[in-house]
Formats: sequence, structure tokens, C-alpha cells
Amino acid sequence: MKLDESEVESEVENTWCIGCGNFGLLNSVKNAVKKLEDEGIGKDRLLISAGIGCHGKIFDYLNLSGLYSLHGRESVTIQGMKFANPNLKVMAFGGDGDAYGEGLAHLIFAAKRNADITMIIHNNGNYALTTGQKSPTSVQGFKGPSSPEGSVDEPINPLKVLLSSDAGFIARGYPGKMQHLTEVIVEAGDHQGFSLVDVLQPCVTFNDTYEKYNELVEVLDEPAETRKEAVELVEKEERLPIGVLYKEKMPVFNEKVYPEKNPVEDRMDEKERFEAVKKILDEKR
Amino acid sequence: MEDEDVFTYMVGGKAGEGVKKAGTAATDLFLDLGRESFQMNDYQSLIRGGHNFSVVSTSIREVYSHHMEADLIVNLDERSRKIHEEHLAEEGLMFYNLDDSEERDEGLGLPLDEMAKEYSKPDLIKGVAGIAVLAAYTGMDQKDLEDLIEKEYSRGVEENLSFAKEVYKEVEEKIDKTINLEKGKTDSTVLTGNESLSLGAAAGGLDMYIGYPMTPASSILHFFAAHKDDLRVMPIHPENEIAVANMAVGATVPGARVMVGSSGGGLALMEETISLAGMTEAPVLFVLSSRPGPSTGVPTYTEQGDLSFALNQGHGEFPLIVASPGSVKEAFFLSKEMLDLVWKYQTPGIFLTEKHLSESAKTLGLDLDFSDEDGLETKMADEDDDYKRYEKTEDGISALKFPPSKDLIKWNSYEHDELGYTTEDAETVKNMHDKRREKNETLILDLKDMNTVNEFGEGDAVIFTFGSTTLSVREALKFTDIEAKVVQPVFLKPFPIWELERYMDEEVIVVEQNSTGQLAKLLREKCGIKPKTVIRKYDGRPFGPRKLAEKLEGAIE
Repeated sequence: MKLDESEVESEVENTWCIGCGNFGLLNSVKNAVKKLEDEGIGKDRLLISAGIGCHGKIFDYLNLSGLYSLHGRESVTIQGMKFANPNLKVMAFGGDGDAYGEGLAHLIFAAKRNADITMIIHNNGNYALTTGQKSPTSVQGFKGPSSPEGSVDEPINPLKVLLSSDAGFIARGYPGKMQHLTEVIVEAGDHQGFSLVDVLQPCVTFNDTYEKYNELVEVLDEPAETRKEAVELVEKEERLPIGVLYKEKMPVFNEKVYPEKNPVEDRMDEKERFEAVKKILDEKR
Repeated sequence: MEDEDVFTYMVGGKAGEGVKKAGTAATDLFLDLGRESFQMNDYQSLIRGGHNFSVVSTSIREVYSHHMEADLIVNLDERSRKIHEEHLAEEGLMFYNLDDSEERDEGLGLPLDEMAKEYSKPDLIKGVAGIAVLAAYTGMDQKDLEDLIEKEYSRGVEENLSFAKEVYKEVEEKIDKTINLEKGKTDSTVLTGNESLSLGAAAGGLDMYIGYPMTPASSILHFFAAHKDDLRVMPIHPENEIAVANMAVGATVPGARVMVGSSGGGLALMEETISLAGMTEAPVLFVLSSRPGPSTGVPTYTEQGDLSFALNQGHGEFPLIVASPGSVKEAFFLSKEMLDLVWKYQTPGIFLTEKHLSESAKTLGLDLDFSDEDGLETKMADEDDDYKRYEKTEDGISALKFPPSKDLIKWNSYEHDELGYTTEDAETVKNMHDKRREKNETLILDLKDMNTVNEFGEGDAVIFTFGSTTLSVREALKFTDIEAKVVQPVFLKPFPIWELERYMDEEVIVVEQNSTGQLAKLLREKCGIKPKTVIRKYDGRPFGPRKLAEKLEGAIE
């Protein structure tokens, strides 16, 4: 299938529930991909990955190349693609159970090393695909099949965790404000370095938060100036600011560890390789 | 029969006293004499204190493994002297530290602590004594010793030279005889197994090495980190083994040739991803360097307890390639061959080795002659093809295409159709299973044309072994009259039944370094071979060749 002859959205049957927040997210992603194309980031060099969960189905719904990964591992899979060929633009989709639970360590380290990747997290506060168990971001008292009497633990604040891990770009979006979400995703894609968009995604079947979010979300005009102020923004519970919350440009991982080299594009030929190996062998004499 | 020509040097002391370095310098000293050697480092999982030793066996012929009967033992402390008392060969010299050990009738003592305390690093410098004693005992000129110290102990060289000369003079005066080591004709390189497999992979076009520290595989990561600019292999040390494996799978999508490494515990964490590599058809080479298990086990020692573990990696059914080198030299060629194989078959491979091969150093000559091309080409898609990542083909192998590309290239951990979209369709599920199984059948056809089993020597007795134990067996056979053929399966999965079936009715002896006889079981299950005797060792220490020779005699006669 030729990418330039096909729509961004695939013809695969969409099985998300009617009214799912993922539809708005998918539309925003589609529009963002088109905008990135206009900026010169073609679909030929845009790679995606996804974890496992309702969110992951977006991998099949997009006519984009990449690898449909394991639960929680998409943030690492996508780094592998980026480090192998830094000329690619990469974007991975995760869920809250997936990226903030099973794969949280990976996410923290991706932020800490400033891998040049974009993460889009479908944060719906439950494990929807496995029938609505509590997730890392479920509120205390959340009732699901694994917590029939209500979840006893406090939810984590993933954005606070990531801001504390030196993340250079933290944003929040809401599918109810699709145009705004599109812009946030484009800005995340344009950012050089680790970027993450936490999407407040209502789950109509197990955790319907439309009413709550419609009331609480508030578009932020400008990102916070300091990391400390950004932390204050994400700690707010009475209002939910959406938009780019924090943005700081820093050197990216592959440039720090392997400057000006591209593992798959700047290879030595066989003769050069043999000479390099021989030189080391001679030193071992 | 008994090979009088092997000279064995042993040096022991606390961690932080430069014991391993003394062994390396000794290997260098022997190499200057044109002699072959094998160096085994025995160390504990600690940074200071404890007991470490290094043992180097040398000869004018190739030495396959170290010996535990030493002609010279340099003990930097009393604990070492006590431990190694039983390792002193007849007429060997025991050197000890008079500041830690009582003066004895036998052997030679010097007040090492007293002598060393004049220097800025009194602990570390003691190791230099190890090499000075060896130089004096083997009648080396002081000038040659100075050259060696300058080469091997260049950091703080003035102090090292001064201390070495002091020890050398004392020993020279006090010993009544020196040992003359015959000069050989070796002009070779000294490599550890880990260095060898790393260089082989680099020669074979490795683009990235990803690893998380775990003995005895850590030194592969260190090697690539030290050589990233000259070998042009990107080294990455991520947060854990799960990240290592998944990053590697991701890196294959744009076409990077990538290798990862760990020991058993780390590979256990990677197992979910080995299955992912099987399903997505991601060509990743996993190095598994074993140590005694289960669990944390005995971190810095050796064992072959992970054979079954390696063979049974990953949930679900998919082609998996497992091979294990029987020598430091074979490690070089096998890593390149394994890379070619995993790429041709787009499936994971496990390069199985053990601490004994990974971290022992051996003299070896290497020429980078890969001219007998193995024909293991990666199948690439044509530019104009209507590309399908998982296209059904006769041999089960779909062509690869790497982004940037105008074609849709979808790799998928779910069962998928030819384009890579998720499917639950019954017929497609079955077809994709068939495709992966057909790949395995094609793989077996390829292996049938390749060298999958090594055989050494001729004789009525047949001794089966694998991995680093091959070293011990080959060295042991130098010390017995037994005429035996040694059979070492290099490939363990797919298992080369076609090469081994003919031993079905032979009286077979199996030698392996684990407690349950995993190779013996494999031979029974796959080839119907019923081993007469299984010689096992599982105390974390490699076989001593002379003791193994006695066991072989017992088993055969």
C-alpha cells in the first residue's frame, strides 16, 4: 500500500464504543499528521508504535508504518526506531494502564534521557479493554471488577512524575476540544526531544468523564515559565488546564551519546569494518 | 600423554590488589616468548577484599583451557596461600607474603606489605609483585621486565617499575633455580570470549549494541562503549533488560543490525520480547552468557544450566535459533553467522555461552576471512513492489523494506494479515502459523549446508559436549591415552539431528557443566542417543583438564 495514495485513516473496522473519547483523539491525530506533512514531515518518515489496550487499536486505524508493540513497551520500541535512524519522526500511543503502569519506568527514563519521541497517552482512568479494572490514574474509590468495594490507593499524577524526571515538553489535551488537541499534537511533534501529550479521554462504558471534563477543562494560553510553575498547574484539581504546560529545549539523547552519527545511514563498508576490527586485534597483540 | 610442556602460573589475593591484571600481564609475558596461553580469572561478586585469583597455562602448543596444577603460585595474602596449597604442582614454587603469612620451610616469602607501603597505591601495586616474581622465576632479563611493566602498567609507571625491580632483585637472590620456558612461534592476539564475539559481530556489520549490566555479559557492553567511535556500533545502556530487548526490536524496523546481551536473569526479563520478536519477525541476536543459577545464583562463576532455558525461550510457537561456540575463536565467526541467520530468517537468535568462555582470555590467530560466503542474504523488497510486510511466500520468508519509504510497513505483535493489520480471522491465523513454521523448515535446509557440529580427533570413544566445556574436554584429552572423537553441536536449535543420528548405536559419553545433564537429555530426545555416562560438574568452577582426563578414563575403561 502506497502511503501517498491512501488516507491517513485506514479502512479497518473501528470497534471503539460509540461516544468513546478515542474518536476525537483519532481525528486530531489525523489532522495533526496532515499538518506535519505540510511542514515537510512526510508520512514516509513518520513511524508509530502503540501499546496494548483500547488505545492501541489506533495502530490499525492509521495507515502509518511502525510496530504494534507490547503492553507498556511502546515508549521503548519507538526509542529503538529513533536511535536506529534519527532522521525519522516517531510517535507512540499509550494508555494509562499501559504507559503509566506497566511501562512507567520506561517513560520516566525516556524523559530523563530526553529521547526525541512524542508520546500520546489515552488517559481514560481504567483498563477498558479488559473490562474496566482500576488503573494507575483511577480515582480513589473507583469500582471495577478487581476493586468491587472501590480502589483503595491514590491515583498517581503522571505529569508531575514526568516533570520531576526532566521531561522537556508536557502537554494536556481533551478530545472534546478537537481543534485544540490537534494543535497540541502538532506542537509536540515539532518539539525536538521528549514530548508527551496526556489526553483526558472519557470512556463511555467504564468511566464516563465527559461531564466532569466539560466543566473543568480550561485552555491555557501560554506554557508555564518554570518547571515549578508547571508542577503547580498539573497539581490543580479544581480546574484542568489543557494545552502545552511546559516546554524546554534540551540536547537530545542520540546526539549526546552518538553525536552526528546515524547507525543505519552512516555505515562503514565491509572493508572499513574489517580494518577497524584488525586495528583492535593488533592492539591486543 | 602427559604434556610436561604446560607451565601454569597462578596469582591470588584480595579484590583491589591487581590480581587479574597480573594474570593478563603474565599472558603478555608468555606471548613475548611466542607461547600460547589460556587465562582464567576466578573472582567474587565484590569490589574489595575476598579472594580472587587468575591462572594462566602456557605452552608452545595451543592450550585450550587452564590447569589447576600450578608451577608457580604467587600469593598476595595468607588466605590465598591456604586456598592454593593444594594447587601447587610437584617441584613448583609457592611464593607468599611474609607480612601476612608465617615464614615457612618451603617456598619463598617476601614482606610485600612492608615493601608496598612506600608507594602511593600500596594495595593495587601488590599485583605488580606477581609479575616480577614470575619474571625472576622464569629467568627473564630485568630489561625485558621493565619493558613489560611499561606496557602493561603504564599508569603510575615510575612507581610500578621501582616496585617491580625491588621484588625482582629479592627473588632473583633468594631462589636457587629458574625455570626455562621454551620459546614458541606464536604471533597472535589475546582475546576474551566476550571480546571475540563482539569483534565478530562488528565485523559482521553490527549497528547497535544494547545491554544492561549483568555478569558475565557486562564486558560486552563495556567493550562497545569503549570502541563506539572506531567500530561505529552505537552502545546503549537503558533502564532495564525489558527496555533493552524492546529497544532492540524497535531498532530493527528501520533496519539496524542489533545485538543485546545478558545472563540468565536478564534474559528471563527479555523473554516476553523474544516472543514479540518471533511474532513481529524482528531479527534480534540475544547473547546469553550463563552463570550458576537458579536466580541470582553465583554471579561471577560458570555453569551450563541454561541450555534448556535457551532452547525453550518465548511463549507461543516461532522459529528460534540457538547456537553456542566451543572456542574463543569460534565465538568470533559464530556471532557474525548468527547475525546473518537472524536477518535472513527475521527471527530471534540466542548466542549461548558461559562465563568460562566469556571472560577467559586465550591467544589466538584470527584472519578476517569470511570469503566462504554462507549465502545468508537478507531478502529485500524491490522498490516498485506492492509491498506487504508479511507476504506469504514458498519459503516462509517475506521481503524486508525499511523506512523512510513510500510503502506502508506495519510490524505487529498481534496476529496479523499480510499487510500487518491485526486479525482474528481463523484462516489467516492458521496461515501465519504456517508461514512461520515454513521459515523454520527453510532454516533447517540452510543449516544442513552449514557447519553445525564440530568434531575433534578420532577414536572409538565418542564424547559429546558443548559450549565452553569443549575447551576443557579438548585440553583433558592431552593428558590421557584415550583415543576419542569429541562431538560438539554448535547449533542447538534447530538441533542438527541429521549430523548426529549416526551416533545412535555408539557408546557415548557426555560431558557438561550442569547438575541434571541437559545435553544428554537433548541427545536422547532428539536423536535417540542413550549416553552411557554423563560427566557433570556444577560447583561453578570449570573442569580442571587433568581431573577430567581421569574421569574420562574411568568412564571409558
